[in-house]
Amino acid sequence: MFDRQGYIENLLDYYQNPRNKGRIENATVSISGGNPGCGDVVTMYVTIEDGIAKQVQFEGQGCTISQAGASMVAEKYEGQPLEAIEEASTDDMIDEMGREVVVSRLRCATVGIGTLKGAVRQYRQDRIKQEIEAADAQTRA
Amino acid sequence: MAENGYAHPEVLVETDWVAEHLNDSGIRLVEADEDILLYEQGHIPGAVKLDWHVDVQDPIRRDFVDKAGFEALMGRWGISNDTTVVFYGDRNNWYACYSYWLFKYYGHEKALIMNGGRAKWAAEGKSLTRDAPSITPASYTAKEPDDSIRAFRDDVRDTIGNPSFALVDVRSPAEYSGEKLHMEGYEQEGAQRAGHVPGAQSIPWATAANADGTFKSAAELREIYGGKGITPEKHVIAYCRIGERSAHTWFVLTRLLGYPDVRNYDGSWTEWGSLVRAPIEKNV
Repeated sequence: MFDRQGYIENLLDYYQNPRNKGRIENATVSISGGNPGCGDVVTMYVTIEDGIAKQVQFEGQGCTISQAGASMVAEKYEGQPLEAIEEASTDDMIDEMGREVVVSRLRCATVGIGTLKGAVRQYRQDRIKQEIEAADAQTRA
Repeated sequence: MAENGYAHPEVLVETDWVAEHLNDSGIRLVEADEDILLYEQGHIPGAVKLDWHVDVQDPIRRDFVDKAGFEALMGRWGISNDTTVVFYGDRNNWYACYSYWLFKYYGHEKALIMNGGRAKWAAEGKSLTRDAPSITPASYTAKEPDDSIRAFRDDVRDTIGNPSFALVDVRSPAEYSGEKLHMEGYEQEGAQRAGHVPGAQSIPWATAANADGTFKSAAELREIYGGKGITPEKHVIAYCRIGERSAHTWFVLTRLLGYPDVRNYDGSWTEWGSLVRAPIEKNV
């Protein structure tokens, strides 16, 4: 898609002009991830309606690659079904970011996608819990 | 000695000194960062970028570029044997010190560190540019690698139980104790086992830096290292995960405190922690 310099410019653009950045106050689910030890922290906020990630935003701080990657992921999966996020390949994300550029920082490159996947996982777990609790309540009633 | 009490204060330059020498043709600035895309966002005018992963590693075997490769790199960056190379970078000059050590390994004489690194330069509002430096290629002849500043696994094995040696483990306390196999965020660079080399003292590398990225005073550094038995009369080996953080400690011990015999074990924990039957201590 790009040559090495093109990938670098693309990452810098996402870092300096982040898309989908900012807290969503009433997000359906939000979750933090990252590498606190090396300074990369990302929080993903997702508003979910009818199995669709209607709005995806992130907040965070850290190195260029981690923050650019989080922005790319939030932009890419906004409006997508949750299954697309669950099936998303971190390897494909690395290729999109420019494997040659991010190869020595793969954890930084994947913190965004990893955290977003974690958010969907959390949402599914919460739903299952709610359904069990609702079923229990019905039984008791 | 300078007011900060360093053994070799001449190896440190301040940001103002660098600003005054930007157009000095005998100086080459080299930026080496942990955040590998910082340089592209703006660097000190005239600086070249050293990417440790791209520029100084042998592409096949685990080693640095060989002498010819180093000479070619210097040539491309317009560095001759007489050039004064000034290193700077992010995160307390972590990679800048690693680069300094590597240049010393190939015998480059005129090497300096900009105290406080990139963060201090930026905090002072000094200029950064995205323009590529204009470079006239140079001719460079490297010396044979200086293994007196580099330790290998057998050297480390020989220190165990020998009181004339001292090992300093500069990784995070969780890596040292054995709680973690690798540094946060570097899962791909772990080892088979966690812990530390028997007898090693834990002194995380960044302990040597002030909040603004400058180095602590000699008195403070002597207390930090001497307080744990890392003293100048000993043969010292510093290690971390792959020898980058420990190169910072090597710089502190040799240049700022003047310890005569310090080696950096770049095989570090990724090697030792994977060696069959290598002795290991754990605190967890």
